[in-house]
Amino acid sequence: MNAAVCTTPLDLPVLLDYWLGDLAPDAADAIEEHLMSCAPCADELSGLVALGAGIRRLADAGRIWMVVPGAFLQRLIEEGLRVRQYRLVPGGSVECTVSANDDVVAARFSADMRGITRAHLVKVDANGREAHRIEDIPLTESTDEVVVIERTDRVRALPAGVERVRLVTPDAAGERLLGEYTFVHTPSS
Amino acid sequence: MRPAGTLVSMNASDAELARRIAASAPGAASDAEAELYARLAPRVRLYGLRHLRDAHAAADLTQQVLLMTIERLRDGKINAPDRLGSYVLGMCRMVVLDIQRGGRRRERLLREFAGDVPLAASAPEPRVDTDRLDDCLARLAARERTVVVLSFHSERSALDVGQELGLTAANVRVIRHRALTRLRACLEGEEAKP
Repeated sequence: MNAAVCTTPLDLPVLLDYWLGDLAPDAADAIEEHLMSCAPCADELSGLVALGAGIRRLADAGRIWMVVPGAFLQRLIEEGLRVRQYRLVPGGSVECTVSANDDVVAARFSADMRGITRAHLVKVDANGREAHRIEDIPLTESTDEVVVIERTDRVRALPAGVERVRLVTPDAAGERLLGEYTFVHTPSS
Repeated sequence: MRPAGTLVSMNASDAELARRIAASAPGAASDAEAELYARLAPRVRLYGLRHLRDAHAAADLTQQVLLMTIERLRDGKINAPDRLGSYVLGMCRMVVLDIQRGGRRRERLLREFAGDVPLAASAPEPRVDTDRLDDCLARLAARERTVVVLSFHSERSALDVGQELGLTAANVRVIRHRALTRLRACLEGEEAKP
């Protein structure tokens, strides 16, 4: 096969399946045979691998806001990252901060998630008005909490103040409150 | 480093380079050896990353496999240059198994083959603009972002990710593909569709 031409290029889903271990062994073997002889497809996969490495760097730096399973936080800790966690019950509040030593900061919102198929996170201002909404957060295997990783750089830049978050689920009447949580933030000295 | 004034055509196929090395006196086709090394190194490294999930181990694998391959080409021990990729893949599998079993043969192989094979500079590994990626990730829907991060952070299968999110593997694969397509479009400067 010429180094620069591929007549049977591998498409993105196949490369993803190969890289992330979703192919049966025989199919993975065939992909490896192709990749070893095909520079364009190897280049394509290299680009995906670089993208994955970039995602990992951002996640490890606490620069991605996301809802995660609790097990993901545990994996970060086992990798040696410093994870600051706050646990909140519905109606509860917590005094919080983030230090220069923290890599990742996470909130663990306790809530009864049994039977819940859709949920939104709503940030409200000091007057109780909706300031920001994240629709359809991913639900995890947990039935008793929602774990959110907040951007560490955003939290570090916050002045002293109060932030409220509501966890809601749509229902026939509009929305049902699953919990409201209050953060009393103090900048790290 | 790639020698100055290389005589090798960049359009030569891998097999043509292999045949040229095999037809030359040992070490006399250093330009072809350097070119072949540069071409194969990224592919072997990918194999190593996929199976060893460690950049240093993948770099070791690349060096070992390609030194052995070029030495065997020099010695005329590779009978089918047209199937060089298969040969290199076989070497990769053998060395990875050895590494996973504790690497007893590694030092001996390096001593045996390191010799005077030119270590060519392969193409630099691609990197993404982290700030741009940050912006593009923020544009994804929350579910897409979670699936992408869970998939790539620890290189987890759709089945594993699905178990953590209460989704089927097929559903994870669909979300993952859609999110990656959007991410790549965003990184390339195209507007990612919501």
